[in-house]
Amino acid sequence: MPVHQPGRRLMHYVPLNFVHKKVTGHGGRATNAGLSLTSMIDFLIVVVVFLLMTFSASGETPPAKGVRIPSAENTLDMIDAPMVAINGQQILVDGAAAGNTRAIEDAKRLQRIDELFNILKGKREVWKQLHPNKDFPGVVVLQVDQDVPAVVVKSTFQTAAFAGYPNVSFMVNGIPKAH
Amino acid sequence: MAGVDVGGGSGKGKRSLDSEINMIPFIDLLMVTIAFLLITAVWSHMARINADAQVPGPPRPDVEQQDIPPEKILHLQMTSPEKFTIVWKAGSQVVTSIDVPRKDDIKENHGIKTVRYGVVTCKPEDQACFNAMCGRAPESRSLAETIACEWTNSGSHRAQQDKKLDQAVLHTDNDTQYVFIIGVIDALYQTHRKAETGGKVTEVPAFNVTFAVN
Repeated sequence: MPVHQPGRRLMHYVPLNFVHKKVTGHGGRATNAGLSLTSMIDFLIVVVVFLLMTFSASGETPPAKGVRIPSAENTLDMIDAPMVAINGQQILVDGAAAGNTRAIEDAKRLQRIDELFNILKGKREVWKQLHPNKDFPGVVVLQVDQDVPAVVVKSTFQTAAFAGYPNVSFMVNGIPKAH
Repeated sequence: MAGVDVGGGSGKGKRSLDSEINMIPFIDLLMVTIAFLLITAVWSHMARINADAQVPGPPRPDVEQQDIPPEKILHLQMTSPEKFTIVWKAGSQVVTSIDVPRKDDIKENHGIKTVRYGVVTCKPEDQACFNAMCGRAPESRSLAETIACEWTNSGSHRAQQDKKLDQAVLHTDNDTQYVFIIGVIDALYQTHRKAETGGKVTEVPAFNVTFAVN
């Protein structure tokens, strides 16, 4: 079906001059409005440039659900490493449950979290089997909720170190430096 | 639609040199690019703060052990709600100790907290700025500024060629919330120095942070 110019259609087929004049609007303003492409393309280019500048090719690891990560200024880029999340009383390793922190909070003293230790140790052994000729980096990233007490953080830190992960990083929201 | 006029074309019977550029595919491309970038856009930038468990390496029976004097280590105690205590220790011997008033600068944005303990505005190479900052009374300095001054006065690894970092040990009580620990580690990492790695001079944190497990 052909595309017609938009405009008035009513009674346009009547072959009388005065009718035609009446129905086409008495020579009034054209119904076709011109669109200024220059400003539209300018806008689109600015949006593309902005989005390209904020684009991250390395991808981002979202924090576990319910974990409110605090912010910090002097940070490093994220790395690919096992992710230990502490959300309230639950501990997750790469999304899988790995114990809870109730016993530590009740006892209020540092202790090893056995379930977490076993999972991390298992991951370490798998890595060593997959990369027999490489040194194990021993890096683990902790996603800890901002209100978790220090005894839980230190217990997790110590458990990770015992399991062969001495390089512990804390995940934070990176914010620009104040100065 | 857009056009390009390259001039000329006045000759008789010659084809006009004005040519129309079809803008539709161009706009389509821009739209598709915007859609892709919007879908893949990341608005919250996740980063990490490094810490080290200081696990000793395996024993080396083939290497002769030498008596090495213990290095100075900065111990930062945040067990009191009123003050921080910064202690330089060599082994078990206390070298210096200084108290810093504790001022928790807490900001909350959509439930996410940020705790700051001051800002070091001096660049590592700006010695005059450091002298002015460290000349002030300790009570008037923030934690970050005091740490920077302490490292300038007592840090062991300050040379550009030195690859090792000074060690900082953080002492907290068991009830301290994690967000305050991050605030203090962030303050410790504000002190930077120049370091040469692979022929390139870069700025690195002056300290390597670990936790005291007591």
